Amino acid sequence: MPLTQDEVEEIRKILGREPTVEELAMFEAQWSEHCSYKSSRLLLKLLPTEGMHVVVGPGRDAPAVRLFKDFAIVFKIESHNHPSAVDPYDGAATGIGGIVRDILTLGAKPVALLDMLYMGEPWDPHANWLIRGIVKGISDYGNRIGVPTVAGDTWFDYAFNTQPLVNVACVGIVPLNRLVLGSIRPGDYIIIMGNATGRDGLLGSSFASKPLAEDTDKEIGAVQVGDPLTEKLLIDALQILVSRRLVKYIKDLGGGGLTTAISETCADHGLGAAIELEKLHIRQKLTPLELLVSESQERMLVVVEPVKLSEVEEILRNYDVMYSVIGRFTEDGVIKVFCNGVKVAEVPAKELARPRAVRRVSHPPAEALKGLKPLYSLPPEPSYEEALTKLLSSPNIASKRWIYEQYDHEVGVRTVVKPGLGDAAVLRLLDGSSRGFAIKGDANPRYTSIDPFNGAANSVAECFRNLVAVGAKPIAIVDELNAGNPEKPEHFWYFEMMLKGLAWMAEELRLPVVGGKVSFYNEDHRGRQVKPTTTIVGVGRVKDVSRAVTMDLKESDSVIAVVGVTYPELGGSEYLYKVFGLEEGEIPRPRPASELRNAKLILKAVELGLVNAVHDISVGGFAVALAEMAILGNLGVEVDLDLVHARGVMRLDELLFSETQARYVVEVKSNRVEEFKRLAQRMGVCISLAGRVLDKPVLILLKGSKTILSADLGLLRDSYNSLEKAIEGGA
Amino acid sequence: MPKIAIVKFPGTNCDEDVKHVLVNVVGLEAEIVWYKEFSVNKWDAIILPGGFSYGDWLRAGAIAARTQAVDELVEARDRGVPVLGICNGFQILVEAGLLPGALLYNDVGRFVCKWIRTVVERPRGPWLALVRDGQVLDMPVAHAEGRYYVDEETYISTLLKSPVLKYLQGFNPNGSIHNVAGVGSEDGVVFGLMPHPERASEELLVPRGFSPGGRVIFESIAHSLKRGW
Repeated sequence: MPLTQDEVEEIRKILGREPTVEELAMFEAQWSEHCSYKSSRLLLKLLPTEGMHVVVGPGRDAPAVRLFKDFAIVFKIESHNHPSAVDPYDGAATGIGGIVRDILTLGAKPVALLDMLYMGEPWDPHANWLIRGIVKGISDYGNRIGVPTVAGDTWFDYAFNTQPLVNVACVGIVPLNRLVLGSIRPGDYIIIMGNATGRDGLLGSSFASKPLAEDTDKEIGAVQVGDPLTEKLLIDALQILVSRRLVKYIKDLGGGGLTTAISETCADHGLGAAIELEKLHIRQKLTPLELLVSESQERMLVVVEPVKLSEVEEILRNYDVMYSVIGRFTEDGVIKVFCNGVKVAEVPAKELARPRAVRRVSHPPAEALKGLKPLYSLPPEPSYEEALTKLLSSPNIASKRWIYEQYDHEVGVRTVVKPGLGDAAVLRLLDGSSRGFAIKGDANPRYTSIDPFNGAANSVAECFRNLVAVGAKPIAIVDELNAGNPEKPEHFWYFEMMLKGLAWMAEELRLPVVGGKVSFYNEDHRGRQVKPTTTIVGVGRVKDVSRAVTMDLKESDSVIAVVGVTYPELGGSEYLYKVFGLEEGEIPRPRPASELRNAKLILKAVELGLVNAVHDISVGGFAVALAEMAILGNLGVEVDLDLVHARGVMRLDELLFSETQARYVVEVKSNRVEEFKRLAQRMGVCISLAGRVLDKPVLILLKGSKTILSADLGLLRDSYNSLEKAIEGGA
Repeated sequence: MPKIAIVKFPGTNCDEDVKHVLVNVVGLEAEIVWYKEFSVNKWDAIILPGGFSYGDWLRAGAIAARTQAVDELVEARDRGVPVLGICNGFQILVEAGLLPGALLYNDVGRFVCKWIRTVVERPRGPWLALVRDGQVLDMPVAHAEGRYYVDEETYISTLLKSPVLKYLQGFNPNGSIHNVAGVGSEDGVVFGLMPHPERASEELLVPRGFSPGGRVIFESIAHSLKRGW
């Protein structure tokens, strides 16, 4: 977004003169919404960012959290929504590249990737093209850099047919004493390593800080192109430089390119810098302005003290990494940029790095009322079997195998619980111990579009439950808030409410929000915002990865238990949309106290080895969770619905398909049922021992002595495995 | 103690995984060697691990197969030093002409990462020393260019006389001809395969319903080298 008249005026004031074109471009890149958080900064202060495990909070390129006493986990989320709408393949691929480089900046080794994709309906031709391009982009880039893509989240919705949300996250691990925290001094060298600078992604952050134009083809020059081979060389070279303690500070050249990397590094350290642009290694002849704001990918800034320069240069040469030494830090707090001896810019780093925050006007639109509407007069109940089949084949619920089989999810030999089998991925540290971590990303665009406060809170809760379900103790989260146009009060209201819901629930569940991103201007060319979406990525501690639990049923005659109480909460459910075409009503209430209590029971039961399988209840409700466990375990199941604890439920579909929070389905070992019951009693958790696992492939739901559903597992599996057909077409 | 070289090219990404299994699972000595520094001397066996050497530019393995390091491999083969290529390593060996055939793009038209079952025919040589004829080995694949192709004449004249790894019926992930998943030189000293044995060497990493079928390959080389291959 070009600078406003007010901003240009302010720049004149800062400089005390007319800015040069180079200076204007630097301010435009740095003061873009993407880089400066100017619309969101005031509200972001609401987030709880502190906690006993937090080592590095928000502010750096990535946060770090203590996973064990000697190991930190570095993780971060990012969106590449705008580039992916224009060029899905390169847009998604470079999203992966960028988030990996953020993790590298603290000296961590990237060991896992996640992709949270909110895309259009597979049967819409344009959306289908976007889906294939996005997944292939992530596949080609992630696979080539040797970091496994182990988990994620997907949602297919007409609202994203032209503007998808592509959120990606990366996890790194690092011994605590190896974290690169930085202590730059004047005179230290600035090295740019990696890709040569070219004319791609010029002012890409500025492009992402406004709505997509009607004719997006003209913006193709703002999309960057990825080179995973160079990224892989960067990863490997940095591991060597960090392990030999040769670099003092590392920063990614992401949005805003060289300008942002230098201005933020200087501002954070109270330093200035003298830059000689002609030293930068380039792909083609560029003007000084282009050099300053190009967003060519796979470039990083490293800071090296003078005595170590030659050793660093030797390593970079040996490992085939291009680099250039472009300047040094100075004491005066001013960034001076020269090109062939001519000064093209001279700006104070602090003022460049931090524009004034803007207080945006926020106002609920009339349609926000649909989230307050109780649902009393629903259409008559359909056939339960038909409804269940419809839900299992919904792209939002069906197996995501078509996606995750395109990702190398095993490279690194750390992935213990692989995609498709657990509610979260579980990886080992591979340090000789049995320690590890769980990781998962979650969002529900429908919830946040109906009720942004409670919807965002439910995203936090779902992520929390998914980590707990595999036997991990959740320790921290990062968030990505995908919202509309902050200049429109009725869009900004959604952002404000999502942020408040997230802040509230994170606090309640004692999960520090250690980092995050904001993506605005997610609207289509007609100015309609796409469904505002709060994406949460959470990390959990796993003391012994060999005890991690998956969701597939394991043995016949074990007992099915439902943990938690079911309420009539069909508002915003997948059932209501798929069966009746409705997207309205009160969405399920966030229940933080129940979440904490029930999670404690699950973790204890896993630790004591009482359970064979655990699955959290989310989209699709109890019936879908049960069916998934049976399909994946290839074992039948029989449940009496009369035994499932519920409150206020008037119809069976409310019991089967409500997406009430804080619930799990658990397979309890047949010889440990009494222990499980006593444990739940002692902890004050409501459980329902409602059924058992069968050795024949059938799913049976009873109501007392009456059979209300009896479905062949093979047929349910066909529905569950139908995503490939929905995307690839064919018979 | 015999020493194994794990040769790393720009873009190789399974080097550390292979080293982990060699050192921590089967107790061998192994080192990751940067392609510029690799020479055949001083190594008792050589492994080309998986990954995307040179970003798979041109064709998978094509550029790595034209480096100095591969001249060294030819020398190793001539001296009878065991050479194993896994995934991209297999692609390099085929591109370099050290093993017959070619590896084409998967018939499904996309990258495939999943567990499959294979069966060994005519096990021979240091990498399959502990494997029985017809033994089933479970391993995961992770590749886009893994569809093995060889003309019928070569298949009959060469492959039918060599150790071969085949996907079990129903597990061919890429449309390989005759279900070929891996192939060795006639004496089995050079062997290449698309599946990843290093990911199938520890019980912990094996999904339910499968078993760690890769481990026997590394145990075989340990066994062979200790007996003074």
